[in-house]
This record gives sequence, C-alpha cells and structure tokens, in this order.
Amino acid sequence: MTAPLETTGKTAEAPPEVTLQGASKKAIEGRSLGQIAWMRLKRDKVALVGGAVVVFLILVAVFAPLIVKLLAHPPNEFHYDQVNEATSLPIHKPGGISGDFWFGVEPVNGRDLFSRTVYGAQVSLLIAFLATLLSVVIGTVMGVIAGYFGGWVDAVISRLMDIFLAFPLLLFALALVGAMPDEVAGLRGYWLRVAIIVFVIGFFNWPYIGRIVRGQTLSLREREFVDAARSLGGRSPYILAKELLPNLAAPILVYSTLLIPTNILFEAALSFLGVGVPAPTATWGGMLSDATHWYKVDPWFMFPPGLAIFITVLAFNLFGDGLRDAIDPRGR
Amino acid sequence: MRVTAIAAGVALAISLSACGGSSGDGDSDGGGENSTPEFNAGVNKVYNPSDTKGGTLKMANDADFDSLDPGDTYYGYSWNFIRNYTRSLVTFKSAPGEKSNELVPDLAESLGEASPDAKTWTYKLREGIKYEDGTPVKSEDVKYAVARSLDKDILVNGPTYFNDFLDLKGYAGPYKDKDPTMKNFKAIETPDDRTIIFHLIKPFSGFDYLAMLPATAPVPAAKDTGTKYKEHVLSTGPYMFASNELEKRFTLTRNKYYDPKTDPDTGRKALPDEITVDLNVNQEDIDQRLQAGDLDVAISGLGVLAETRATILQDPDQKKFSDTADQARLWFTSFDNSVKPFDNIHCRKAVMYATDHEGYLRAYGGSSGGKIATNLMPPLIPGYKKIDLYEFESKPNGDIDKAKDELKQCGQPDGFTTNISYRAERAAEKATAETLQQSLDKVGIKTELKAYPQDDYGKIYAGNVAFSTKNQLGLRVYGWGADWNDGFGFLSQIVDSRVIRPAGNTNFNVKDPEIDALLDKALSTLDTKEREGLWADIDQKVMEGAYYLPGVDAKQLLYRPERLTNVFITNAYNMYDYTTLGVQK
Amino acid sequence: MIVYIIRRLIAAVLLLFVVTAVVFVIFFEVPRLGGQTADDLASRYVGKTAGPEQTHLAAERLGFTDPLYEQYGRFVKGLVAGADYDTGTSVEHCPAPCLGYSFKTQNAVLPDLLDRLPVTLSLAAGAAVLWLLGGVATGVLSALKRGSVFDRGAMGIALAGVSLPIFFTGLLALSIFSYNLKWTPPGGTNPLDQDNPWDWAASLILPWITLAFLYAAQYARLTRAGMLETMQEDFIRTARAKGLRERSVVIKHGLRSALTPILTIFGLDLGLLLGGAILTETTFSLPGIGQYAVIALRNQDLPKVLGVTLIGAVFIILANLIVDLLYAVVDPRVRTS
Repeated sequence: MTAPLETTGKTAEAPPEVTLQGASKKAIEGRSLGQIAWMRLKRDKVALVGGAVVVFLILVAVFAPLIVKLLAHPPNEFHYDQVNEATSLPIHKPGGISGDFWFGVEPVNGRDLFSRTVYGAQVSLLIAFLATLLSVVIGTVMGVIAGYFGGWVDAVISRLMDIFLAFPLLLFALALVGAMPDEVAGLRGYWLRVAIIVFVIGFFNWPYIGRIVRGQTLSLREREFVDAARSLGGRSPYILAKELLPNLAAPILVYSTLLIPTNILFEAALSFLGVGVPAPTATWGGMLSDATHWYKVDPWFMFPPGLAIFITVLAFNLFGDGLRDAIDPRGR
Repeated sequence: MRVTAIAAGVALAISLSACGGSSGDGDSDGGGENSTPEFNAGVNKVYNPSDTKGGTLKMANDADFDSLDPGDTYYGYSWNFIRNYTRSLVTFKSAPGEKSNELVPDLAESLGEASPDAKTWTYKLREGIKYEDGTPVKSEDVKYAVARSLDKDILVNGPTYFNDFLDLKGYAGPYKDKDPTMKNFKAIETPDDRTIIFHLIKPFSGFDYLAMLPATAPVPAAKDTGTKYKEHVLSTGPYMFASNELEKRFTLTRNKYYDPKTDPDTGRKALPDEITVDLNVNQEDIDQRLQAGDLDVAISGLGVLAETRATILQDPDQKKFSDTADQARLWFTSFDNSVKPFDNIHCRKAVMYATDHEGYLRAYGGSSGGKIATNLMPPLIPGYKKIDLYEFESKPNGDIDKAKDELKQCGQPDGFTTNISYRAERAAEKATAETLQQSLDKVGIKTELKAYPQDDYGKIYAGNVAFSTKNQLGLRVYGWGADWNDGFGFLSQIVDSRVIRPAGNTNFNVKDPEIDALLDKALSTLDTKEREGLWADIDQKVMEGAYYLPGVDAKQLLYRPERLTNVFITNAYNMYDYTTLGVQK
Repeated sequence: MIVYIIRRLIAAVLLLFVVTAVVFVIFFEVPRLGGQTADDLASRYVGKTAGPEQTHLAAERLGFTDPLYEQYGRFVKGLVAGADYDTGTSVEHCPAPCLGYSFKTQNAVLPDLLDRLPVTLSLAAGAAVLWLLGGVATGVLSALKRGSVFDRGAMGIALAGVSLPIFFTGLLALSIFSYNLKWTPPGGTNPLDQDNPWDWAASLILPWITLAFLYAAQYARLTRAGMLETMQEDFIRTARAKGLRERSVVIKHGLRSALTPILTIFGLDLGLLLGGAILTETTFSLPGIGQYAVIALRNQDLPKVLGVTLIGAVFIILANLIVDLLYAVVDPRVRTS
C-alpha cells in the first residue's frame, strides 16, 4: 500500500495483500476478538492518548460554534485594529498573539486564527470521515465480492484495483475539481465542493480497503465455520452477511482509522493547491496556502494550521496503530 | 500593465501629446543622474549611470509571456523587453520620466511621412540593418511581419490595430492567402528594398504609434514558422536568442550583426553580454532573490508583492534600493447590471455606501499600496478631477444608514444575496472579496465568493457576458491600467458600450448612450483642455450611474538591486526601461 | 519469465489506455454536465478578440465538435503513428509517440515534458537515495535494538514524520534555512552541468531533505516491522544455527527478505514521484513535471494534462515491473519457489 503522491501518512505497514490471520485464529480460542483487542488496547498508553486526542478533536469540530462563541471571535470577523496599516502585519509580536487572540491573527485583515483553526477542524474531519466512509463502503463490497466468489470476478476486480492504484490521484482530483461546473444536482458553493472532494478522495481510495477485505475474505472463505454454513445450505448473501461481515469488521475498522489521516492530509493538499472549499470558509490547507505569502515576514501564521494538521494526523495514526496492534500484535 | 488595454487607435494619436505634468516637479524633464542609493533614485532620473559593458542581466517572470513573437504579443512588459531582440519602425525613447513618451525612429530613418489626408504613410528603412544571420533587412520583411500579424487565428494575442486601420480589401494574412509574394496585400507597398508605404482605410494622424507596435519588426517570410516562430525570433536588435526553453527560461546573447551606428535615436545601451529570463517563478521567490541580489529585475514590472513591500519600506537599508511610482491603474469592483437586483441603481448605490473603503485599501496593502479611489480615473491621467459623490473620503468605513436607505428605495429593505467573483491567484483580490463580503453583510447583503483562474477571467468567466449572468456574478473584483496616460486610453475599454463583446471583455457592463456620446465628442475635440474636461464629465457620469465601485488608486514599489546600472522608470511602460540596464560585476 | 514480462507489458499498455480515456471523460464529459458546449470549451484557446465564429472555427480545428471516441482515437493514433500539425506556415510532423500540441500555447507537449523531466528526476532521485538509506538504516537499527531508547525515539520521530504535510515542513524549512539563515537559495533550480554541480545540489538540498524526511519516516517503520518479522523466521534460525556471524545473518538473510515489501512500495513511490511531485514542486517552485501539471490543469489544457498523466502512469507501471523482476534477486524465498 502506498501513498497518493506526496501526501503520505499512509498506513504503509500493511503490505498490499495483508491478512489478519493471527487475529482471527485467536478468536476461536474462546474469548471474543473484541474483548482481547480491548484488553490489549487498554495497555497501550500511547494509543489511548491518540484516541483521547481524536475524541477531543471530534468534540472541537462538533462544538466549534460554541467554543468560538465562548472563547474567541467569529472566524470571518475582521480586526483591523490588530494589524499594522502600512505593513499589513499583526501589531502584537509574535504573529499577533495576545490575551484576546490566543493563536494570533491573520495578516491584512486580522481574523482570529484560533477561531479559524477550530472551524478548520470541522471541514477537515467532515471531509475525511465522509470520504473514508465512501471508500469503506465501496472497498468492502468489492473486496468481499472478489474474495468470496473468486475466479473471473476476482480477476476483474483485482485488475480494477490495480488500475485505480496506478492513477496519479492528486492530478485527477485537481482535474476533476477544475472541470466541475458551478452547480450539480442542486448543490452549489460550499456543499458542492465538499461533495466533490469527498467523492474524489473516497472514490479513488477504495482499493486500499478493497485489497485488505479481499485478502481477508479469501482466508475466511476456506475456514470451517463458513464451510459449515455452506454445507448447511446457507445461500451466499446469508453467508456474506452473517458469517463474513462480522469477522471483517475488525480489519475494516483498523484500516478506516488509518485511512482517515491520509484523507485529512489529502483534503489539506487540495485546499493548499486552491481547489478546496471556497473562501472565506476556514480550512487548514487554505490557511497554509495563505501563509506561504507571509512566511518571510510573519512565519507565525503557518503554525496554527500546520500544527493542527500535524496533531490531528498524528493522533489518528497513533490510535490506528494501537488498534491494529491490539487486533494483530505481530507487527510490534 | 499585465494585460494591456485595447485602446482604439485614434486614442494613440492624441494620447501622448496630452501627457504633460503628471508629476511635474523639477526633475520631470528627466535630465538628472544619481549614483547614491536612495528612495526613488530611479524616478525621473537615471540611477547609477554607466557605460560599462559585460556581465549577465538576470530577469525573472512570475508568469509567462503571452508570446515572444513580435507579431503575437500584447503585454506591456513584453513590448518593453522585446526591443532587445527586435526593432520596430519607430519606438519610445529610452529616457527617464516623461521624455520616454517621445516616439523616435528605430528601424526607420525618421518618423512617418504622411500624405495630406493622413491616409498614406511612408517610412524609409535605415541602411545597414542586418538580421542575426547577417542577411540585410528589407522593407518587404516589414510588410510580411505586419501581414502575418493580421491572422488572429494563428497569432492570437496581439492587438488588432492593423486589422482596423489598414485598407485590407479582404486580405486575411499570408497563412490564409498562401501566396508568399503577398500580391493580394495591397495595403502595404514596398517600391524598393528600403521604402514601405502604408495605405489606411481612414485618416489617422497618429499612425506613428502603430509603427511603434512590435508587429512592425521585420520577419523574413522564408524564416517564418507560424506559431513556432516564437521559439526563435530572428533578431534585429542588439541581442538574439541563444537558447529558449518555452515556459521555463530563455537566454539572449549579443547579436554581432547589430550595429549601434544604425541606432542613434532610441537610447538603447546594450550593456550586458547576456540576458537570462526565468519564467513561471513564484513571485515570492522573485522578491526574495531580488533582495538577496540573486536576481536583477522582476520583468513583469508590477512591483513587489504587498508583503515584501511592507518589509522594504520598514527597513531604511532596503528602502533606498526601491522606487515607488503612482500607477495609472485602478483596482475596482464592477457591478453586473444584468444580475438582479443590480439592475436597480439604488441597490448598486447601497453597495457603494456599505463598502468599507479602508478595508478595500487594506486588501491592497494599506497606504503603501495606494490611496482610496473615489472615482474611476486615476489621478495620474491628465484632466483628472476628484469626484466623491458617495463620501468615500469622509466616511472611509462606509455609511450604513445611507446604504440601508438605498436598499429601501431599491425595494430590498432586508438586503439580498449575490455573488462576488475574483481572480484566484491574486491574494489582494481575495482579500477584497472577503472585506466586501464582511461590510455588505452589515446591511443584510449576503454574498458567496467565487474564485476563477486569472488567465481566463475576462475571457470565459467574469468578462463573459453569458457566464456572468448565468452564474449571477453581481460583483466582480477587477482592475484596469491605462496603456498610455490618457483619458481615452484609460476609459474607452471600460465604459464604451460599443466595445462589449460576448466574451473577453474589459468593459464588463457599462451601457450608457450618454457616455458613448461623450466619448465620441472627446475624440473629435482638438482642444486639449476642453477634451480633458470631457474625460472628467464621463467619469462623473459613470459615478452618478454607480456602474463601478472604485477601490484603490494603485501604487507600485519596484526593487532595484545594488548591482544594476542605468536604472530609471520609463513612463511609456510604467516600469524600468529594459534596453538600458547594465550590471556591475 | 519472458512470457511473464510480455503479459505484464500488455496489461500495462491496456492500463495506459484506461487512464488516458478517463482523462478524456473528465475533460469533455464533466463540463458537459454543467451545460458547456464544444464552443465554450474552445473559447479558452482563442485570442482575446475572437468572436463567436472564430471560436467555432477553433472548436472545429481542435476537433471538439467530433464525438468523443473520434477525438480519443486521434489521440491514440498520434501516440502510435505520429500526427501532423498545422503551424500556419507549414505542416509539421510530430513523430510517434506524439503527445500532441498544447491548446493554449501551441507548444509540442512531449519535448516540454522531456525538458522538465531532469528537474523532477533530480528531485526524486536525490530524495529517494536519502530516504532509502536513512529510512532503512533507521528501521534496521530500531528492529535490532527493539525497545531501546533509540528505537522509541526513532519510531516517535518517524510517526511524526508521516503525519506532517510537506507544504508545512517545506514552508518551515524555507523560512528557517533559506530565509533566516540564508544557507540555501530560496527556490527554483539550477540545471546540472559539469561546471557547478554544487549549485545544482544547493538548490535542491532543501526539497530533498524535506521530501526524504516524509518518506524516510514511512520506510523506517516499514523496515522495522519487516525485520522483526523475518528475524523470527526459520531460515534465519537455520542461518544462526549454521554458526554464521550475526552481522551477516542480519544483512545477508534478514534484511534481504525484509526488503521485499519495501521494494514494492519504493517502486510505486518513486513511480508516483517521477510523474510529478506536485506539492513539493509547488512549495519550492521547482520547474518540474508537477509544476507543469498544475499550470496545465489551471489552463484546462487537455494535451498537457494527458501528457502528464500518461508519463506519470508510465513511470508507475515501469517501476512496478522493475520491482517485480527484482524480487527474484532480492528475496530468497521467491527465488526458490
């Protein structure tokens, strides 16, 4: 599994055809997979911290309006009094940080970087989650079909996944967003962009999940309980839903968790390149893109969005790593 | 002057003579010289004069030329720079300040000789001018050069003056005609190798300005490669192409067949041995390399970025290496009257009143980026009159009460929703759109921001009538600079309703018969004072009609690295003259 | 083996067709969704003064009025058989593989791309060497000293490394090393020539390090995991039992098979980078394939976009192919089977 261009952060540890046999083998030994995994996870302090940060960030995103209302200024409000008229730079050094503006202010218009960073979490997480969901849905369906039915179905789907993996993803995303009209299916502006970005990221990333699910299904298919179900006359849909999916839940959960940070980076990259959600909506990538104009005279501008991305992605990676180790401890 | 105004030909005739006194202090006759680095040392005088030859002049461009082909270019900086490798019949004199507005013969022995009816113009080429390969320049080559520039299907970028003024009789250029002898092209005659005669369809006393266009630089028919000619333009100037990597960089080296004796009038210095131009470089990097002395000139002539400007002006050690100049350029926002409710003048006026003008100025860098503009014409244009109908000066942050009152009269007391478009690559325009959004929000006008790529902004987005209407671009952030400092050159392309095309507009929407009539009247008015008064009247009408929201009268800051010699701002191009620069090793 | 290579090559060619076909669909069908006509598309590529007729002529000249499959057919034909192009004065032949001429600037696309390739190549190769050496070495050491301070520290940094976007680290690096300390030039690149290899390296050192850091982090994690796994395998135990020195066990046996999955990923990563490191080239304003891609996309210049996509896909496919062939050399398990 590899990174879409240089936006990596990819869950590189998983070789393309990885299966999580170790985990499922143990599941037969009595205690449920979930219980064992939870026990292991509880012992992994680093992962727990990561998880806690993830929860915190989700809360921040959800309650962004409330937080900003209580603690800061509206994200799009201008504060000319915080900016030098002739130089456009924040008055308070460094970066306009003051008791009133905890993360400083934006050059030119003096917008509150704290509020914008908090609101940026909303866009970032929303898109990352939705895109991941899309990838998981497509990936699971395709992976299960390929793994369960095998033969030519598997061959076709596997080739399809190869094709998707050979696509220069970022290039495609840029092309697609650029070619999109201003209104599609009644959506415009902000929500149209969100929909396009979710689609692009989600749709082109499904093979990562697809491969894992396929490998997993392949190995499960040969196992006793599936055989048993089949010999008892169970039809394919029933077996898929009742026997396979529950056993696939764990690896899917792990790799979704690890796909989210990649998608966060990807969304940031799109915003950085100017095809993210439109201004004045605060996005971390967009803020970094603005910061490129100012890095020489106001380097502080790049830190709130840059660190926000870093901390969020790191937290998801830590948590995802821990989750994987808990389910499949061989990698430790 | 990134995108040059398509000023109609007649304007040229009257424009330059009308240029007196824009900055009329003692130095404005341009005789001064100065070698001590100080702020504005390159304004109206030559900074660091020198005749020392040698070295490499390093230039960089944040974008790319529209074309390097003299028959296919319409950027101001390109016209300035192209004189290094081509020679047109006449050109602007290379001299500081206003002296640069004088036309002097270049390829020709003298300025054009007109027939009494000003419909026939004759030029005689100088003797001894050769191409870089040693072959002599013939009048036929000038004829061919003009002929090929007529074909806007192949060479799409250049101006259309020759298409408009020559008596073409249906001739569409050598690519369509396919006859290399050009016998169907009767508008230009070449009775001998040195004489060239232009026949016009209507009288034009200012034809010398057309003879100044790069399209009159000779191109031998045998060497023309159509759209690929820009890869290696055959030089007649002091430099020729040594290498040309399109969209990346090119290098000019000395043309040994250029003889300075054949070039006594233009003021070309040809000091460096080599000129390199890097293309598509980040403007941030350009600024930084200028300050680090790693680069000599930012070729676009638009000055440093707002953020760099701030650092330079704060630091006396850097400030002394910079020149500032007012520009005949206005940053403005144009209403689309076809988008409801802007068909109602009161809704337009509501925006005029609600706008935070100081915020608009802030977007362009505050006081170091210019001044709040109250009307359309920039102060640099002769005949400029301050018109402040909406009290921009006394109420720089807008007048909410009046705005609300106008909204009531417009029948939209609670405000309305519309869109603001801007050019995606321009940070200042994004900042403008955002400040407009904030200030309009205060009176209930809700807006959505739309960013479009700048290359096609006029052609397929904001300047495209159908697109703008369909996408409800009620407010379009834009800017306009005059080619020549003249009322017509500035106004016609943004207020004359007859220049509106389906696409590629610069006048996004002003359609007012009274204004059209005033323009025509000004063109036929010979008295300078009276004509200048008419420009101001047009300005007044535009403001009364609330067709435009003026934003900022622009100022630019050019950085002149220490090792540059012979630096001065030419008023003809509003940037450093690119034919006189030299470098110290 | 030869049959295998041929099969892979055929698959690769098919893949190229699919990828370019998708670009065609995005370029022509997506705008159509928004109600754009062939003339609307063509209006991007005509002069500022063009009227509706000229625009329509341009649409016809560029072939926009033809059905999509015909346009695609022309593109493929140019690719395999070359194409002719009217420059106005003459007809120029563009030999196969002809990627066509830009709609916007009329430049031939292939020479443009080849021209920019050295920059991207320099960037990718330099960074690849750094990250491969740094990443693998760190990974091996971490695996051998599992649980040590070094291991924890290195893995901590590595995890941080994969969590940083390059347009943040790049900006930070520029701000510190280029702007404040003035150790390196601010951007752009110098061509590699005999006279001044130092200038070339100096202009690329920051992008190299920034890019390499990102990947090194990933490779360190990978190598460590791979090493830990192989060191427990039977053949390692056998090697140890045979009395081989630990160093040769680690390097000859352990690292060799641990490298296999890394090689796969290295192939893909390098392939992707060679197709244009869009973010790195944007951040450091390097005139490579990635920057070309961004310009092409901004102008909606289809031939250029196709060219970049094609060259990117070719690199990915080639890299994969080479990697597969190298497997046999590196991994003893593959060789014996």
